[in-house]
Amino acid sequence: MALDIKKLLEKYYDGDTSLEEERTLKQFFQNGDVPAHLQSHAAQFGYFANARKEQPSLTFNHELALMLDPPKKGPVQQFGGWLIRIAAGLTLLVVGFGAGWMFQSKQEGSEGLMALSGKENAEVTEMKKVLAFEQMNSTSASERIHAVNQSYDISEADRDITQLLINTLNFDPNVNVRLAACQALTHFAGETEVKEALIQSLAIQTDPNIQISLIESLVAIREKRAVEQFEQLARNQEVLDVVRLKATEGANRLNADV
Amino acid sequence: MPLNMDLQAFNQRILPVQGRLFRLAQMFLRNREEAEDAIQDVFLRLWTNRQQLESYQSVEALAVQMTKNLCLDRLKSHDKQKTTRDADMVAMQAADASPYRQAENNDSAGLMHRLISELPEQQRLVLHLRDVEEYTLEEIEEVTGLSNTNIRTILSRARQKLRENYLKAENYGTGY
Repeated sequence: MALDIKKLLEKYYDGDTSLEEERTLKQFFQNGDVPAHLQSHAAQFGYFANARKEQPSLTFNHELALMLDPPKKGPVQQFGGWLIRIAAGLTLLVVGFGAGWMFQSKQEGSEGLMALSGKENAEVTEMKKVLAFEQMNSTSASERIHAVNQSYDISEADRDITQLLINTLNFDPNVNVRLAACQALTHFAGETEVKEALIQSLAIQTDPNIQISLIESLVAIREKRAVEQFEQLARNQEVLDVVRLKATEGANRLNADV
Repeated sequence: MPLNMDLQAFNQRILPVQGRLFRLAQMFLRNREEAEDAIQDVFLRLWTNRQQLESYQSVEALAVQMTKNLCLDRLKSHDKQKTTRDADMVAMQAADASPYRQAENNDSAGLMHRLISELPEQQRLVLHLRDVEEYTLEEIEEVTGLSNTNIRTILSRARQKLRENYLKAENYGTGY
């Protein structure tokens, strides 16, 4: 074996070996048991075999793909882009006009302006239905808040609606609905009964958010009769400090308003 | 999308050669990043000239030639930069030689790499193509344009020279 290798090596250095013979040499020197006198050849063949295993890094392919892709897209896509842009613009115009025309003709045709007041009535009944006391368990809080907020659209308050809102303010189990009712009621604060209801409610409410909201509303509408209630609140040890401060401040402001 | 197909076809023809081109560039430039950069350049050039690729018999041979030329160009411009940057070339080389070479001598692969890069350019290329990449003589002919006998001679010289230099370096190293 070693003799063969020696012959092969001679042939190799003369540049006369075939690929097959060179592979034999590489394999021979890759194996651990190389005789000492041939050891000096090992580094060379070992290097060749190892160098063959080198590969570009993993990110290289990715970078290459990125690099080759843009030139491919460049000039072609720009042309396509123009066409697509024009087409998209036209489509948008057509759709816009179409939708506008359809919307208009629909309004003119079936419902008309007279329906608007009817619509408002429908809203009111809808709102009454949702906020009705016996319904409170079957409707969700967000539904009731929505109903309360519908009252903003109503231009003239009637007793039914304000009474409904007052009930909601006082008895709704959900804080957020009560808060919404409180805010909605400030819109109707011109009504005397609403003012009274707000003052009375302040005595009932225990949630600090609503207490503060009520105090602010009453101060905003300059309801002097609330001063007494404010002072009571300010003295109440069970009430949150912030609320008591707010109440004192509110009382002072109403008093100073004279 | 015919253009898309084109990229696919291009990848199919070129990507298998990628490793070979990379190793060739690494052999010349002796630096992984620079080698990757160089073959990226080669691929880009091939891609931009893809219409003409059909007329070449072997895209691989072309790519190998391009890689070789590009690497040699880069090496030349490196050398120029070095000369202009430092007038006192001799002093720099001397300073550069000892720690760097000693570090390289520490592993035989590094030493081999250095010894190969000290061979004349043609010997380097032929030796690499044959002994690392295992090209047939015909394939080397295609890349280099040299005759069969010429290639054998160059190969023989390169192998002998490499061994000679290796023994010298080893004796020098161990005798020290």
